[in-house]
Amino acid sequence: MHVGREILDLARAAGAKTTFVVGIGKNVGKTVTMRAIYEAACDRELCVGVASIGRDGEAVDAGDAAPKPRIFLRRGTLFATAREALPRSPAVELVALSSLRTAAGALLYARVAQGAYYELVGPPTASGVREVVDELNARCETTVVDGAIDRVAAVAGIPGAIVVAAGASAAGTVREAADAVAGLVRRLSVAQYDGREDAVYIDGAFTATRAARLIAARESRQIVLRDPTQIALSGKAASNAFVRLRIRCLRPLNVVAVTVASIGRERSFEPRAFAQAVAEAAGLPTFDVYAGERAA
Amino acid sequence: MNVSALLDAGGAHALEFGWLRDAVQPASEYGLRVFAGVRPFAPGAEEAAQARAQRIADCATAFDAVRLDAIRDALRTTPDAAGAIARASMGDVLADAGFFELQRFCDAAERVDGLVDGAAGIAPVLCAGARIVQEALEPGRTGTYEFYLADAFDGALAAARLELANAQAELDAARGRTLARIANRLRRDDVSSDEFIVMRVDVDGELPAGVRVLREAPTYFLCTVELDEVALATLERRDAAADAVAAAEERVRTSLSGLVAANAAQLDAAAIAFGELDLLVAAARFARQHRCTVARVVAEPALSFEGGRFLPLAVELAREGRAFTAIDVALHDVAVITGPNMGGKSVCLRTCGFIALCAALGLPVPAERASTGLFDEIAWLGIGSQDDQPGGLLSAFAQEVVRLRDLLARNPGRLLVLVDEFARTTTPLEGKALLVALLRRLGERAACGLAATHLASVAREAGARHFVVRGLRGIPQPPATGDLHQALAALAASMDYSIAEVGPDDVADGDAIALASLLGLDAELVETARRHLASSGSASS
Repeated sequence: MHVGREILDLARAAGAKTTFVVGIGKNVGKTVTMRAIYEAACDRELCVGVASIGRDGEAVDAGDAAPKPRIFLRRGTLFATAREALPRSPAVELVALSSLRTAAGALLYARVAQGAYYELVGPPTASGVREVVDELNARCETTVVDGAIDRVAAVAGIPGAIVVAAGASAAGTVREAADAVAGLVRRLSVAQYDGREDAVYIDGAFTATRAARLIAARESRQIVLRDPTQIALSGKAASNAFVRLRIRCLRPLNVVAVTVASIGRERSFEPRAFAQAVAEAAGLPTFDVYAGERAA
Repeated sequence: MNVSALLDAGGAHALEFGWLRDAVQPASEYGLRVFAGVRPFAPGAEEAAQARAQRIADCATAFDAVRLDAIRDALRTTPDAAGAIARASMGDVLADAGFFELQRFCDAAERVDGLVDGAAGIAPVLCAGARIVQEALEPGRTGTYEFYLADAFDGALAAARLELANAQAELDAARGRTLARIANRLRRDDVSSDEFIVMRVDVDGELPAGVRVLREAPTYFLCTVELDEVALATLERRDAAADAVAAAEERVRTSLSGLVAANAAQLDAAAIAFGELDLLVAAARFARQHRCTVARVVAEPALSFEGGRFLPLAVELAREGRAFTAIDVALHDVAVITGPNMGGKSVCLRTCGFIALCAALGLPVPAERASTGLFDEIAWLGIGSQDDQPGGLLSAFAQEVVRLRDLLARNPGRLLVLVDEFARTTTPLEGKALLVALLRRLGERAACGLAATHLASVAREAGARHFVVRGLRGIPQPPATGDLHQALAALAASMDYSIAEVGPDDVADGDAIALASLLGLDAELVETARRHLASSGSASS
């Protein structure tokens, strides 16, 4: 099976123009997942845009010098990156200069003229991410973003799909990883509020303190947040809040799939058992991007 | 824009210089560079100051608001090519983004020249040198505003790219064959050329040739693909072709950068002209939007205007659907202004300072007619400077005294001084004595100024002219609801904010108790105050 094609189909079936890959931690296969979706979109001859929230595609991690998956972009792909991260050769078609700044300089939009490896560098703010997504979507049929959970709010409320990447690098055990994925998926999947019903609107982060007060007051109305990223709860506090409160949001997100990377730098999990545990915990289609399989 | 030589921080705060700076700020990086160098005109430069204001007014007349906005929009969206020009002039080979910026700059200059079309005596920005660079970059244009180091720049580049495309296709085919063979052997749809997992249960015998095991685990192998000799040979050819393309691209960049360097002086001049146009357009929009006029700039320390407005307040009032009452003032020496609370004494001072500041910056002024000198310093004393903020070691009175001490020590040659209830926080008797002494000293120095006060007889004792705010036409009734906005509206409707010169001993009504009542102060307290005022008035008479 082609994992990238399966995920792309799920995203497109959900009406998404943008697919945002977020991870439960570092080195969990986000870039590999993004690359698989990107390749599938290219194979379908779609005009594709790609972007990153941080810095991806460099040969080694700037933080720990470990090798990182590189990103080969095909001719015609539109991408956003920092000016200083653009290779001198092969030359690219320069499409637009952005006023956004990144850690590696001003951001620009370019179209690949000759297939090669490129680095993707993205903006540091949610509003910057939104601008990049809008700019790429204006020129492409589909956009894939190597994202981050704390920037996913940028795509809340627009037709986008979220793919959650989980890996052995981010958890001590299979159970921990599966719980982390389940928690994240539940958090990101908060439903849209019902405008016909009474609601309590929460401005800003939805913290454990706020949740505890509402639970103590036996609040039965909808608890409405701006978007799911406003939920600053985890562990038992999150479980309790989701069971005892009707948490909703103004701008929902759409989580369509989970990918797993069973091999990590410090530990590895048995691939099929890991994928199965994550699939059961998340309740979503789950793919092993390294094994090229879908969990049963 | 730096006015520190003309205004200290307190004065800048009182006159809302920040508002003015934002209102005339250019839109582009080019304009902002010129803007950073703008300084007030000093005494002696009256002709230049008036000429600049006239140029702005001409521009505001020549273009309607839509045209000004279109020019500003073109300026705002132009990337800054100054860095590319500088790097090329110092011998750098520019990156493609530099050429892109230069192309966008030349395009914008051409577009702006078209919008200006020689009106208001504005010379074209796109000079001969810029045209040469624009034409040289033209082969790189893709779409309307995109740039690519295209084959059209150099035949050798086209040949090298064709070679690379062929080599890449060969490599893709060779690698594709290897991956397809491995995928077929593993009974998978595809395998990645990077790392991938093969489950032991899925392997029928040996792993296929070309698969290298990176890690073995009880249930799986972590693998990668090793290219065969044929594929490695194509990889080598592809890399050599890529190097040839890189070299050919660099030759084109070197040639183009040389052309930019040869025309750098003219490009620089065009960039400066672009910035100056931005500055002019920003000021013209300001003048047009706020119906400003060109002040006659005279060589004397004097300030007079008719229909003057303090724009920051006028704009705020307009936002609330209320009108600013324009005022007339004529100052050629030191004068005193009195009037009721909330009658506009402070606004009168601010209007004087704001109009003098605009004229000093070579801007049209917010008045129907105005005549002003240029000043070495516009000083603000009393309420309204940042020093009024609580905190610090000095009391409010001490802060005022220190500001005055420093002003007198600076001893500016030509001074416009605006004094708002100086020494109001000490005893009325001593405060008045200090104010009278200050006004006499300012008079001796031939300063031009206006002092607002509630203290009686200051004008007579200081030998100064006396203006009053005409004040309330009647006492408005407090709104039944006690709503503050309604009270302010009632007050505004009853207040005559205009200013008249009166005799030195004429006393302006304070109306403080009536205002307190209007603003909703406890009725019993107000009545007690009225009785006390009446009894102390009869006692003193």
